[in-house]
Amino acid sequence: MNKLSLLLCGIFLALPLQAQEDPFQTVITPAFSPVTWERLVNAESEPENWMMYSGTLDSQRYSRLDQINTGNVTELEMKWSYQIPVIDRAETVPTVVDGIMFITEAPSNLTAVDARTGRVYWRYDHELPEDLRICCGRNNRGVAILGETLFMSTLDAHLVAIDARTGNVLWDVEVADYEAGYSKTAAPLIVKDKVVTGIAGGEFGIRGFIDAYDPVTGELEWRTYAIPGPGEPGNDSWSGDSWKTGGAATWITGSYDPGLNLIYWGTGNPGPDWNGDVRLGDNLYSDSALALNGDTGEIAWHFQFTPHDVHDYDSIQVPILADIEYQGSTRKVMMWANRNAFFYTIDRETGEFLEGEAYATQTWAQGLDLNGRPIPTPGMAPTYEGILVSPPIVGATNWYSPAYSQQTGLFYVTSFDGEQEFFKRDEDYEEGERFTGGGGRYNQPMDAFHSSIRAINPATAQIEWEFPIMPRSSAGITTTAGGIVFTGSADGYFFALNAASGEELWHISLGARVHAAPMTYAIDGQQFVTIASGNVVYTFGLKEN
Amino acid sequence: MGNLTTQLRHLATATLSGLFLATSGSFAEDAGNLYNTNFDINAGLRYFERQCSRCHGFDAKGNDETGAPDLTGRLARASSDVGIYNIIRTGIPGTAMLPVAADLPDAQVWQLVAYIGSLSTNPANIDLPGSVTGGARLFTDKGECNSCHMIDGQGGRLGPDLSRIGERRSPEELLSDMLNPHTDVAPRWWTMRVTDNNGTVREGLRMNEDSFSLRIMDEDSNLWSYPKNQIASFERLETSTMPSYTQTLSDSEVDDLVAYLFSLRKEN
Repeated sequence: MNKLSLLLCGIFLALPLQAQEDPFQTVITPAFSPVTWERLVNAESEPENWMMYSGTLDSQRYSRLDQINTGNVTELEMKWSYQIPVIDRAETVPTVVDGIMFITEAPSNLTAVDARTGRVYWRYDHELPEDLRICCGRNNRGVAILGETLFMSTLDAHLVAIDARTGNVLWDVEVADYEAGYSKTAAPLIVKDKVVTGIAGGEFGIRGFIDAYDPVTGELEWRTYAIPGPGEPGNDSWSGDSWKTGGAATWITGSYDPGLNLIYWGTGNPGPDWNGDVRLGDNLYSDSALALNGDTGEIAWHFQFTPHDVHDYDSIQVPILADIEYQGSTRKVMMWANRNAFFYTIDRETGEFLEGEAYATQTWAQGLDLNGRPIPTPGMAPTYEGILVSPPIVGATNWYSPAYSQQTGLFYVTSFDGEQEFFKRDEDYEEGERFTGGGGRYNQPMDAFHSSIRAINPATAQIEWEFPIMPRSSAGITTTAGGIVFTGSADGYFFALNAASGEELWHISLGARVHAAPMTYAIDGQQFVTIASGNVVYTFGLKEN
Repeated sequence: MGNLTTQLRHLATATLSGLFLATSGSFAEDAGNLYNTNFDINAGLRYFERQCSRCHGFDAKGNDETGAPDLTGRLARASSDVGIYNIIRTGIPGTAMLPVAADLPDAQVWQLVAYIGSLSTNPANIDLPGSVTGGARLFTDKGECNSCHMIDGQGGRLGPDLSRIGERRSPEELLSDMLNPHTDVAPRWWTMRVTDNNGTVREGLRMNEDSFSLRIMDEDSNLWSYPKNQIASFERLETSTMPSYTQTLSDSEVDDLVAYLFSLRKEN
């Protein structure tokens, strides 16, 4: 043994003692171990880890951790904060594996920190071109992990594989051409031995798709377009060549049912957003839920929430899967609170519509028919002069994650009751340019509108309770076995509600907008809950006696 | 009510006609923008609606959620056409304000500059019928505006500080503010009526309200902060505390006040 080895032995022997005395001491030997597909399938039984964007493949965002519960949540205190060095908004949901937290940052960066202290192991800065085509901010929402490799989307429409231990790039592939208006912001989803990922760019006349990549080589395994090509079923739902520039982006993470081997993924608005005259027809599969074969990507069924949408009501919501009691039997369902203000419970084996009701203010539809298809209110399409419609462009909800509690059987969504004037404009498609055909204008200040957290019974589609917040929030929700709903608000609060009653349990002012969803994890038996607010990632835990 | 509304509308129309008949010239030309015709402004508008309205709003009045500023008044980051041009061309690093496509022709950028310029009212181009000095006198005498409004550190606290109001409001808007104060009241100037757990009621201007708390200023300028879960109830009165001046001031006096308020700018 040489001198260096002896010296290192000495250091490591001495460190455990230091770790107990110094709260800022990084854990030296984390138990980080490869994340196998089996671990991901059984993620619910490892509640100490948060191994994917929505926590588990069914995207319930329900954690079995209950150390923090309705009885002691008022004892929460901040344990650490991590300052994201790039000033922008944080929409990230961190991933935690065996004591290491992976945080994505704007515009397309990634940092690994010690989940006990928030101190950095490594960081990866993705080099971006200057002439990005992005509609709505420089965002990144999270990573996927398989083995020891992290997978991240980037704003220049690349998918990058990064070594979880060092931050080194393993491969970097172009998913689509950013100069044509494509970009990527969402966390990928691991499905067996593939990295499944969507695409953004619905305001640039792209043609949306869902891709699967080989996690080792980065090779494209399959691509399923969200707009059928000529000769495929559904292509005739687009007039002329409008399908080529029809949008239907796939810009939020989907879910997966291992038993049914089906991937569930939402699709965005048809393009141009507000001028439907140039794309007559239902515009399949825009504003839809797609169920894809987990091996081939073939479409097993689809459910279109908003046929021929002219209000930008993306169905870019995370599908929540659960088995619920419905009319006397257990049904495998998918729950969906849509940007169009309707909540849906759908049989996830077949795509059959079961229940649906408006959960927020809306004026664009008279209701849903027996198949869940909306009955449009005449005269609510955008005009050149402008017409007032509810919900506004941002929707009754949007991309931010809803949640479901196995304890209460309720579905929770951040909702908005607002209205906006919608305008139509004539535009020609030009590659890489915005292709929206209009826009919107608020006629009232944001404080005049109503926002809330709503709990919905998926068996009846009825609202069970609501908790008012202000102003419009784009924070996601997480539930726990401690009986808690955790979420945040645009006015900079992080707070906890009683999942059964909606009663306020605890709140803290973090001071900056929350655009992210909370997540929870544990190390050495201590539960933590983490939320990004402004440019800061905060982690809370119970006070230690 | 209908008659009064009609009268107000006629009054507003008559007064505004007086204002804008006097408008002439082109400030864009003064600053060197060669693309400043109505055709150019319209071309700029079309480009704006397509490329810029997602963040700045279809009416260019900005968006608190996206952080995009209001472009219809004085611009914080540019004081000239060239400054606006540079921001459009190069973006603002570290923000969501990205540069336009590198191959976008200069002419098109200048058209966008012309459109943005057209959104704000250049005082040099407006010859208002009212008297600035007369308006200044009315502000403190008959109008008693200074009992609520502050200008350059002098006046009350119960209304917006008007020291630079001419940069933010057009003469047309100022006129409307005086005649129809309850239209489009900013949330900051709503009134909150708070009832505490002892049944005590306190009213004040809505300094701020969020999901869990609210803060008001009462008529004696006392500042109060309440956690929502520790009061019995609260009520928002989304009207203005300012009276309408339809009955108390003549048309010419209103014109004088508009002229005075519109003259209140940083350079003056």
